[in-house]
Amino acid sequence: MEPLAPHEKIFVDSDIVDDENHGEIACHECHGGNPDDPNWKTAHKGVVKDPTYPDATTACGDCHDEINENYQKSLHVSLRPYKLIIDERASSNTVIRNKLGCAMNTHCSGCHSSCGQCHISRPNSVEGGFLDGHLFQKKPPMQEVCTACHGSRIQKEYLGEHEGLLPSIHREKYMKCDKCHTGDEMHGNGKDYAHRYDVENGPKCVDCHKEIYKREAKNVITHRIHKDKASCHVCHSQHYNNCSACHVGKDKKGLTFFKTKASWLDFKIGLNPLKSEKRPEKFVTLRHVPVDRGTFDFYVKDALSNFDTLPTWKLATPHNIRLKTPQNVSCNACHGNESLFLMEKDVEDKEKKANKDVIVPANLIPRKQKWQPK
Amino acid sequence: MKYLRLIGLAVIFCLIFIPGNTFLCQAYEDTQCFKCHTSAKKLIEATREIAKTRPALKSAETSGEG
Repeated sequence: MEPLAPHEKIFVDSDIVDDENHGEIACHECHGGNPDDPNWKTAHKGVVKDPTYPDATTACGDCHDEINENYQKSLHVSLRPYKLIIDERASSNTVIRNKLGCAMNTHCSGCHSSCGQCHISRPNSVEGGFLDGHLFQKKPPMQEVCTACHGSRIQKEYLGEHEGLLPSIHREKYMKCDKCHTGDEMHGNGKDYAHRYDVENGPKCVDCHKEIYKREAKNVITHRIHKDKASCHVCHSQHYNNCSACHVGKDKKGLTFFKTKASWLDFKIGLNPLKSEKRPEKFVTLRHVPVDRGTFDFYVKDALSNFDTLPTWKLATPHNIRLKTPQNVSCNACHGNESLFLMEKDVEDKEKKANKDVIVPANLIPRKQKWQPK
Repeated sequence: MKYLRLIGLAVIFCLIFIPGNTFLCQAYEDTQCFKCHTSAKKLIEATREIAKTRPALKSAETSGEG
């Protein structure tokens, strides 16, 4: 993503007056400040940079009432799953929890979106800046909005930026994020989801690939055999990014920072930790997430004393899908191939307990096949 | 009478839609916000002035992928 010069971030395209929907709303009606004051320093007193966060009712709600109604529960705004997951790992001690809450407010709460931070500017977490002179963008541009935040995993996977790996086949078909992740999904439907994978109108591969289980479909036997046993990603994803040991803190100047110990490309099939009617597969791809027992040590020790209640290898849906992958060239490229599965030897001792439910025991690894479909 | 009505309607239409919009645009463009934020020159001057007094926002200690 091209960085913007400071003045570019706030330059307004005068064409905005021609916007039949937003062009008649004066700046100060949403942002406040004094529109008659020629001194910019005093004119900006009381100006609200993003009038759509945390509440978009005044700025957007009058016209976009349906979207606004669900806005607070959109995961991009509420960040509810993050909070719940940290909460589950957190100590039950009230003093520690309060300190953890402060640390999360300092480091985690900034990573949200808003109406404005998708449709008008780049997200604040990547230093903002108008997308196109404050002209309203019905569809947020992929690389300035979506992958501006979802960069180290989704962007690199989807665009094929990892050395030796190909971009997603969907990228090669010129598909952008909104092709699968619709506005309805992004805006939320008013339900308080505990996990992004619970979102009812989230994308499913079979939404488009409806034909794969039909008799006349190519590879129908393979698809039928693996239905509900392995997720699509198990066969069609390439290696993907994993991170570990993220620590947050403040430097001598009081500026916040984070440090991750390592990131590496890997491909691991494990047992599905989120088995449900929607995701009934036994085997799924797992990604190591950056959380660590000591992530918040700078602020409070033992904040995550219930660290082992959730796995650190989590259900993943890598965005680098290919029709042909090393693990699907033949049945036995995967069956009996222990290196593809997350086994006990692959997990650090200190994380074995947390990952006990996703580690694949040797006896569950599918056996080598003598028969192979043509 | 019929012509008068038609002329009247046309006048009302013009008042509501054509000049109204122009007036609104003019009012909009007359604000200090609009004048400054549509002028690259003025913004460069202001942002340079801000940069002189504004401390760094990012820590140099950040490392790794987020």
